[in-house]
Amino acid sequence: MARLLVVDDESSIRLLYSQELVDEGYDVVTAATAAEAVDRLKESEFDLIVLDIKLKNESGLDLLQKIVKERHNLPVVLCTAFSCFKDDFSAWLADGYVVKSSDLTELKEEVKRVLAKKGK
Amino acid sequence: MDGKCCWDREVVEPGQCPNIGEGEEVLYTSLGRRVLEKCVECPNFRGDLERFRDTGHPLAAIFPLIVADLQEQRGKLQSMVGFLDSREREIKFLHEINLVLQTSIDLDEVLSVVMTAITAGKGFGMNRAFLLLADKDRKFLRGYLGVGPRNYGEAWNIWEDVNRDDFTLKEMAKNFYKTKLSSEKVKFYDILEKLSTPLAEQGHILNRALREKRPFLVENAFHNQEVDYSLAQTLGVDTFLITPLISRNRRIGVIISDNCITHKPITPQDVQSLETFAFPVAFAIERASLYERLQEELLKVTAANVKLKEQQEIIVKMERMALVGKITSSIAHSIRNPLMIIGGFARTLLKGAGVDDPKREYLESIVRESRQLEQVLEEVLNYSDSLYPTLDSWDVNQLVSSVCRELNTKLGERRIACRLRLETDLPPARIDYKQVAYCVRSILTTAMEGMPDGGEIRIETRREEGWVVVDVLDSGVAAPLVGIDALTTPFGSTQELGTGLGLAICKTIMEKHGNIFEVETPPSGGMRYIIKLPVTREEVINGTTAGG
Repeated sequence: MARLLVVDDESSIRLLYSQELVDEGYDVVTAATAAEAVDRLKESEFDLIVLDIKLKNESGLDLLQKIVKERHNLPVVLCTAFSCFKDDFSAWLADGYVVKSSDLTELKEEVKRVLAKKGK
Repeated sequence: MDGKCCWDREVVEPGQCPNIGEGEEVLYTSLGRRVLEKCVECPNFRGDLERFRDTGHPLAAIFPLIVADLQEQRGKLQSMVGFLDSREREIKFLHEINLVLQTSIDLDEVLSVVMTAITAGKGFGMNRAFLLLADKDRKFLRGYLGVGPRNYGEAWNIWEDVNRDDFTLKEMAKNFYKTKLSSEKVKFYDILEKLSTPLAEQGHILNRALREKRPFLVENAFHNQEVDYSLAQTLGVDTFLITPLISRNRRIGVIISDNCITHKPITPQDVQSLETFAFPVAFAIERASLYERLQEELLKVTAANVKLKEQQEIIVKMERMALVGKITSSIAHSIRNPLMIIGGFARTLLKGAGVDDPKREYLESIVRESRQLEQVLEEVLNYSDSLYPTLDSWDVNQLVSSVCRELNTKLGERRIACRLRLETDLPPARIDYKQVAYCVRSILTTAMEGMPDGGEIRIETRREEGWVVVDVLDSGVAAPLVGIDALTTPFGSTQELGTGLGLAICKTIMEKHGNIFEVETPPSGGMRYIIKLPVTREEVINGTTAGG
């Protein structure tokens, strides 16, 4: 069972993602801030991170760069509210990105695709 | 003593003096004037004088002396009058020419007047003239214009035309300007080419005329030690006149004139007249040339202004678009999250609701409406995104300068000198400004990080076929070949993450837009980064990159 880390500052979104991804058969851990995400990454191993580009008072992209530097084999799927990710080319470092939608089919498919690509 | 001439009569009748003609009737009654103007030339008077000498009168020997002196003085007077007449004509002619020269600022018009004045019979009447002008770099006297016939047949035709048309000098110059200027340049092309002389060749007679500021009348040219044999050979005559054109100590050019058809001698007076003529000519040519250069500069400045205005408009547009983008992005984030949560949980609840659950209809309604709202939101965002001119024509020099300015402080702190060599008249490239600026910034940042002890970065822009090339060369440590691949491979296993990350993104961005990005290690050391950006299509079609 693949382990996912969901990083989003909105508690409702964390809850929604958890429920849907658990239903898909993943083991899901959540984090509300970048610092919390780093702590979770230190505590245990993950197969993929679902990361919101805009976290409260910080950028998800900074966290992305940090993850890529330290664990460049850990795949990241960015979640975006559209267009803002284009302003920063660091977003190009991610393995995939999805536009936020109430229909989580796209997210689930992207997670599946990236994991398959990484052989997990 | 009775005279055979009428000198002894106060008044004579018409017919009594054969020397008085029509319009001179006043001489019939004016004895003094008649004797001085007519009698001294009259054979009857001379006969009377001889007979008077025979009388042995004491004054008889004196009279012939007085008469002879009177005749001599009269001859001199007439020649002076003739000289003054010709001078008066010349002054009038120069005055007329000067008026035209002073008012004209068109170089070819000035030259048409000058060359016509030298070669026309109503002007200085030389058979042929060549004008040589100092070039812009002041390195060569270059043959510019030749006027006159090439052979006897042509000379005959020209003179026949001149006699038939009987134009004034002004009309002739105008006619020359309109119909013959270009053909004369072509006609004498070979001679004009051969006449071109380096200004540095001090001993050449053309340069001597300019240096000594005086005309040279060359005679016996084929055997003259002072004259380059090839010059005589080119002109094909052994006598010619070199007149320097000097304005305020500046060497403007020289006029070479000759009488290759009539072989009429060139007199000292011709030399002097042409020398006088050369002063206003030199001044007029210099003024017309300066005006021409001024016009060229004006055109360049106007073009630069237009370009600047266009770029300013684009920048303003970009800023406005960026603002629109920021606002919509912010709205999107604020609306999309709650919308997603509402719709998302409705979907979760719907999955758990039984087929007969009365709440199912409500949940379906929430899912449907939230989905519709998301679609509206997406349309708004797509529209705002389309306002970004992703690919547009940009001045790459401006882009490079702007990035360098941005990094100036960092470069200074690291003691790195940044030298720019930007090609002027670089055609615009069709690029995404933001992305290319990001790449140039990444390259410079990478270069800076490779030079912890300071150094130099050279940035050059140039045209290469259909590309605008940005060439960056640093004086840092060259990476090994394997390292270069790693630098530009995103997430490559050998990659040392951090500094190379920017270049990996650069490569991806560049290749996505069909640009070229290369990293090399030149033998001279350091690292070299080359970006090739496509020239705007219109520029290629207009051929502005041809030969570039």
